[in-house]
Amino acid sequence: MRLSLDARRILYAALAAVLLFVIGAIVRPGFARPDSISAVLVVASFVGLVAAGQMFVILIGGIDLSVPWVLNGAAILLVTSSLGQDSRAWLGLGLTLGMGLLVGAVNGIGIAVFNVPAVVMTLAMNGIMQGLTLGFSNGMTCSACASYAPPVVQAAAHGSLLGIPAALWVWLVVAVLVSCVLSFTGFGRRTYAVGTNARASYLAGINVGAVTVALYALSGFFAALAGIMLVGFGGQAALGMGDPYLFQSIAAVVIGGVAILGGRGHYAGVVAGTISLVALVSVLLAMNMPNYGRSIIYGVIILALLLLYGREARET
Amino acid sequence: MPLRPRRSRFVHGLTQNLGLWLAAGILLASLFSYVGIYYARQKLFPGNFELTTTVNNTMPLVLAAVAQTLVVLTRGIDLSVGGVLDITNAVAAIGLGDSVLSMVSCSILVLAIGAACGLLNGVLVAYGRLQPILVTLATLSIFQGIAIRVLPQPGGQVPERYTALLANPNGPWSLLYVALLLVLWWVLRRTRLGVSIYTIGNDEEAAAANGIAPRRTKLLAYAIAGMCSAAAGLFLAANATAGDANTGNGFTLTSIVAVVLGGVSLFGGRGSAAGAMMGAFVTTMIVNILFFAEIDPLYQSFYEGLFLLAAVLLAGGARRVLRR
Repeated sequence: MRLSLDARRILYAALAAVLLFVIGAIVRPGFARPDSISAVLVVASFVGLVAAGQMFVILIGGIDLSVPWVLNGAAILLVTSSLGQDSRAWLGLGLTLGMGLLVGAVNGIGIAVFNVPAVVMTLAMNGIMQGLTLGFSNGMTCSACASYAPPVVQAAAHGSLLGIPAALWVWLVVAVLVSCVLSFTGFGRRTYAVGTNARASYLAGINVGAVTVALYALSGFFAALAGIMLVGFGGQAALGMGDPYLFQSIAAVVIGGVAILGGRGHYAGVVAGTISLVALVSVLLAMNMPNYGRSIIYGVIILALLLLYGREARET
Repeated sequence: MPLRPRRSRFVHGLTQNLGLWLAAGILLASLFSYVGIYYARQKLFPGNFELTTTVNNTMPLVLAAVAQTLVVLTRGIDLSVGGVLDITNAVAAIGLGDSVLSMVSCSILVLAIGAACGLLNGVLVAYGRLQPILVTLATLSIFQGIAIRVLPQPGGQVPERYTALLANPNGPWSLLYVALLLVLWWVLRRTRLGVSIYTIGNDEEAAAANGIAPRRTKLLAYAIAGMCSAAAGLFLAANATAGDANTGNGFTLTSIVAVVLGGVSLFGGRGSAAGAMMGAFVTTMIVNILFFAEIDPLYQSFYEGLFLLAAVLLAGGARRVLRR
């Protein structure tokens, strides 16, 4: 039986994840125990949330470089608006997710309406959000900045339900929703259509601009959601907490078999890609690999995976 | 079919090199605002010292912007620029000795390392058929790792004579290197390689059909870009008089900003290194202006982002008006 290209890519990413857990169990006995697997998965869930948004924009051949400071700004906005009180948690959550949606929508408008290249628009937005976050929080010295995340949010990151960490439930719900939206709704169909050929989609009557704005808004939303989960996990916000998530989210999306030029890919692959990426880092940590070695091997493995299945068709 | 009336020669020349003219306009505007705000604060005009520090601080970005231009012209993007700067900056800080022989051999070694890094990118892009943004994202991580291995803590020592040569603190002598780069670029544009770079950026298939080797061209473009990034690492080390395996990181993004401000199209085939070099100086000017305008440094990246957007929107608007 021959699997379709998409299915094969998802399979490769999943196999890579399993393989890494096996290697981990060999170098460090106990690495593949249920509790340590679930710890790796919880860390992966944060990357996975950001990667969901990143996948949406990569599906139309775009990219979101504003992830780091949207995430960081969201984390700080949540603690400063809710002040660690459950009664204000809903206000904080609404404000934070709304901020993510708004910033993402502005990205989308710049790209779709004003024809700014996605790299430039989201790069500029990252700077704008960084400046605003640093300025408003006065360099994280404001009195509200030291607040903890409300207990509700902390529970969403730390609690567990039926023996499975709550963060994983959140990720599972997101994964099911994202997959259903992409596979079974008109919006999902339109997303793939725009990613495959924006011009043809426009001629076929699709409102390309509206789809673009919606997808970038979703990317902002998921970056903000990841910020909320991270601040719930860590308790407090910090400057620079979003920085690792840009490259990791892009790498996870690509390892998951989503075509960087758009039009192809599924969230199931991205989930597998995220898990293999985070498992790789955990294995290298378990091997007591120094920082520089991790960085080098990380790059080499991403290259190896790309060479394995990220290649473009040979030009004839 | 009625022919469109020919545009006047002036408008024609303007539209052909619109990116370059806009970059020059932005550079002039930022220079005037800098001088104006400097005069308003200090009651005197910026002199030799200000010019020298500006030039010396901008030189690494000028070279990084040239590197980025070469790759962007082929319709690629090089995220590993910062990584190459990290490695070469670290090697320079460790390797440079006081003797002339050591300075020459170490500089050549550093440039060779840069070329090798670029070659790796080029091979993976051209022969591995991988997307440039992904390749250079992965090699960025590799290069950063190597740089930290070479120089785990900031340190090393750059001889005074070397600093005097590349980043002389007594006068804006480094402007000579800018002139040299402009001449080299002028020559490159007239070689087979230069023409090929522009052609594959415009239409790779058509270029291949007309006897241009896209793979060889890309390979060379990435390798030369790597060498330019290495030179940027040398200037960075000379200006800082020491090495740090992390200072190069920011140059990946600022080189893209400089290229965009310089009117180089991210879709390939359009623009020039001269524009990108102007873009690099604009980037430094903005920091200077914000400093003298007594803007809270915390808001610095906010204004930088806003300025980048404004410049791109302005360029897009001007293009639309002139092409009408």
